[in-house]
Amino acid sequence: MKRLSNSKELEKLRKAIRDGRDPDKPIVTICGGTGCKASGCKHIIEAFKKEIIKQNLQEKVDIRITGCQGFCEKGPIVVIYPSKIFYPMVKAEDVSRIISETVVKNKVIKELLYVAPSSGERITYEDEIPFYKKQTRTIFGSNNHIDPKNVEDYIAIGGYSALAKVLTGMKPQDVIDEVKKSSLRGRGGGGFPTGQKWESSSKTKGKRKYVLCNADEGDPGAYMDRSILEGNSHSVIEGMIIGAFAIGSNHGYIYVRAEYPLAVEHFSVALDQARELGLLGKNILGSGFDFDIIVYQGGGAFVCGESSALLQSIEGKVGEPRAKHIHATERGLWGYPTVLNNVETWANIPLIINKGAKWYASIGTEKSKGTKIFSLVGKINNTGLVEVPMGMSIREIVFDIGGGIPNNKKFKAIQTGGPSGGCIPESLIDMPIDFDELTHAGSMMGSGGMIVMDEDTCMVDVAKYFVEFNLDESCGKCSSCREGNARMLEILEDICAGNGSENSIPLLEELCEYVKETSLCGLGKTAPNPVLTTLKYFKDEYIAHIQNKECPAKVCKALIFYEINSKDCIGCGICAKKCPVNAISGEKKKPHVIDKDICTKCGTCIAVCKVNAVRVKTGGKK
Amino acid sequence: MTNEKNTLVTDAKKHGSVLVVGGGISGIQSSLDLADAGFKVYILEESPAIGGVMAQLDKTFPTNDCSMCIMSPKLVDVGRHPNIELITYSELKEVAGKAGNFKVKILKKPRYVDGEKCTGCGICIENCPVLLQPQIPKKPKEAPSVRDQEYIDKLISKYSYQEGPLIQIMLEANEKYRYLPRDVMEYLSSKLDISLSTIYRVATFYKAFSLEPRGKYHIKVCLGTACHVRGARNIVDKVKDTIGDADEGFFSLETVNCLGACALGPIMVVNEKVYGHMTVDKVDEIIKPLEDE
Repeated sequence: MKRLSNSKELEKLRKAIRDGRDPDKPIVTICGGTGCKASGCKHIIEAFKKEIIKQNLQEKVDIRITGCQGFCEKGPIVVIYPSKIFYPMVKAEDVSRIISETVVKNKVIKELLYVAPSSGERITYEDEIPFYKKQTRTIFGSNNHIDPKNVEDYIAIGGYSALAKVLTGMKPQDVIDEVKKSSLRGRGGGGFPTGQKWESSSKTKGKRKYVLCNADEGDPGAYMDRSILEGNSHSVIEGMIIGAFAIGSNHGYIYVRAEYPLAVEHFSVALDQARELGLLGKNILGSGFDFDIIVYQGGGAFVCGESSALLQSIEGKVGEPRAKHIHATERGLWGYPTVLNNVETWANIPLIINKGAKWYASIGTEKSKGTKIFSLVGKINNTGLVEVPMGMSIREIVFDIGGGIPNNKKFKAIQTGGPSGGCIPESLIDMPIDFDELTHAGSMMGSGGMIVMDEDTCMVDVAKYFVEFNLDESCGKCSSCREGNARMLEILEDICAGNGSENSIPLLEELCEYVKETSLCGLGKTAPNPVLTTLKYFKDEYIAHIQNKECPAKVCKALIFYEINSKDCIGCGICAKKCPVNAISGEKKKPHVIDKDICTKCGTCIAVCKVNAVRVKTGGKK
Repeated sequence: MTNEKNTLVTDAKKHGSVLVVGGGISGIQSSLDLADAGFKVYILEESPAIGGVMAQLDKTFPTNDCSMCIMSPKLVDVGRHPNIELITYSELKEVAGKAGNFKVKILKKPRYVDGEKCTGCGICIENCPVLLQPQIPKKPKEAPSVRDQEYIDKLISKYSYQEGPLIQIMLEANEKYRYLPRDVMEYLSSKLDISLSTIYRVATFYKAFSLEPRGKYHIKVCLGTACHVRGARNIVDKVKDTIGDADEGFFSLETVNCLGACALGPIMVVNEKVYGHMTVDKVDEIIKPLEDE
């Protein structure tokens, strides 16, 4: 590709790419995100390629392997453009039909269409599926039109036009003002106003300045940053260049988790392409502005998502947070002024520049503007990534977009903000979601993980899980976090084992306060949140564990026992055969019995029973 | 009884001076209190300097205050207090007498330096020709085999464009060997001029590194929240059970926090192959065939 020496050449290239494309030419888009990869999209892609050659359609049909399209539950996903006919969970044997019927004759294959779980209706087009219909996919929507390894796709949809606009007609302060006016807040979790951050860094004098992208997405249950990087790296790169221009920086880093190999690969490819086009490196688009980005892989430590720990890690040290008397915007990486923003924040920047701060500020609530991508996971029908305007209620997200809870179970709580967040109960289901409302409820936005919990989820167990997570990930610098979490875990383990006492809850509350007040970084300060919110909203479950020695959700192993319902059991004997400890006995064709003394509650019998005769009961602590 | 009473009451026999044994934080604080109250205080300390264990700590529980910030003013006070005399590098040999009138024998170890005049500048240590001071001898490093040396040199030059490349180099080395062999870390230490202890600290801090070789089949079970609520814990227990009696070095198990494929939870990964929607039942189906190989 030729190096672009000014913004006019970029527009020329864009026009050439658009003109070279026939809008009516069918494109088969196959989602190649990690979710669909795990569901086997590789075979599907190969099958499509083979089939197209077999039917001799190489000239007439394009294949585009995109990044994550969001609807991971139904992967592998295939969408046929321009008609937007949507096929979920495609199997290799369907491929030849899809090509010969839908692609060639534009005929819909009814039995392969998506079935709405609520109505049982078959839905043909992508935008009519309830999961997509209610979303506002300003950032994420472009993933569907982009092959992450092909920069032309990004340029064709208007990519790098924001950069050209900034470099040709705006001063750095104009950019900062525009971002400030948009009221964009950091998407990494804290929600700090981005414009303010940039301004304070641009005012600080330094020999060098750094622009960093935080892609150390460690929150369990959140994967939107990865999907942006995998699906549309260029939007992040463009945002970073604009940010660098605004604060006057020439050096950029992106800190990516080593667990995300595909994101690293796609981002590196995108960097190379941008360099080749002269969008990165020396004299970008002939403006005299230099900037480049280095990819830095993390070593797998949750705490490195914290800003000061991340800086330490890039410096090649152990990722321990330091006190923030002086902000990174003044003295950050290697002691120079540094701006660190989350992946999603960077991806928002080109939109704000292109469409204007006014447009951006018109979306969302009073203090939280724009859209937010959430990863809707857990006990939910439509698992996946959803992008909605700030202020949408939990009910709309869970029931309208998420399609409700599987098997008609009851909604119990939603956990947001990862291990730093909290559980929001059903009573607050109509709460609009934005930064301040969530904080008010005792949780936080975090990076946007939303884990749905139903009646089968034990809240004490959830609290225990998060404390365990925080204990594991605590860097150990502050004794209150290192020791406090350990003691909290001991108390919770006691409660789950049925050994809780009256003192357990007050002690837990006291410990939470200590850890919250005396830890240095965000990890420690927010570590007690899951315990505090579950105590606040689900105290009755704690009391059931402590006083009645019962686990209402039937999760805590010490408080439950397995039983075979003699009415339902058909005596097939498969459970007895599969039981690893031989705890099940019984004659053929007669109801079997579980010996509770031997049973280890491993769950094998439930998994293999065809008639659902194995029941879990609680209250049976010996 | 009467005797004892006498010794306590009779002023003539009281000396008005105190010996504090041990110059740790409690010794220091009590000395300061006593000295402020007007007693002459001698602090006896076994080591060459006062301060004790607290001087070695980073922070104190539960307030997380920096321990040196608490200590150093006290150390200075002790040094400058007219009522306090320091007897360091000395041992208590004998105590005789009664309350109010003790006699102690102290063994003062030789310092070979005039304590009155020494300012602790440290120049003598730097210039000592015979290196009699405590110093860690520089051991000649065992070089890894030639092929590995070349490989690591290549890695070092590959990342030479950035400052602080240690973690990136270690990540690649860890991937190649499936763990970080000691000789590799030693070689890196000599080449990058970073102490081995720093490298070891980094290697043990980050989860991506392993100090022991991982098994031929490395099994990862995701324990992210989404997987957790769908019962991933049971999968871990089952895997542990299943691989329990296999040969060492064949299987290794690791639990990870979120692989980011939450829609398919619970997830298990064997080497690079991802298995979604795991159930306890499926564990045997996947692992048993590997065992039989």
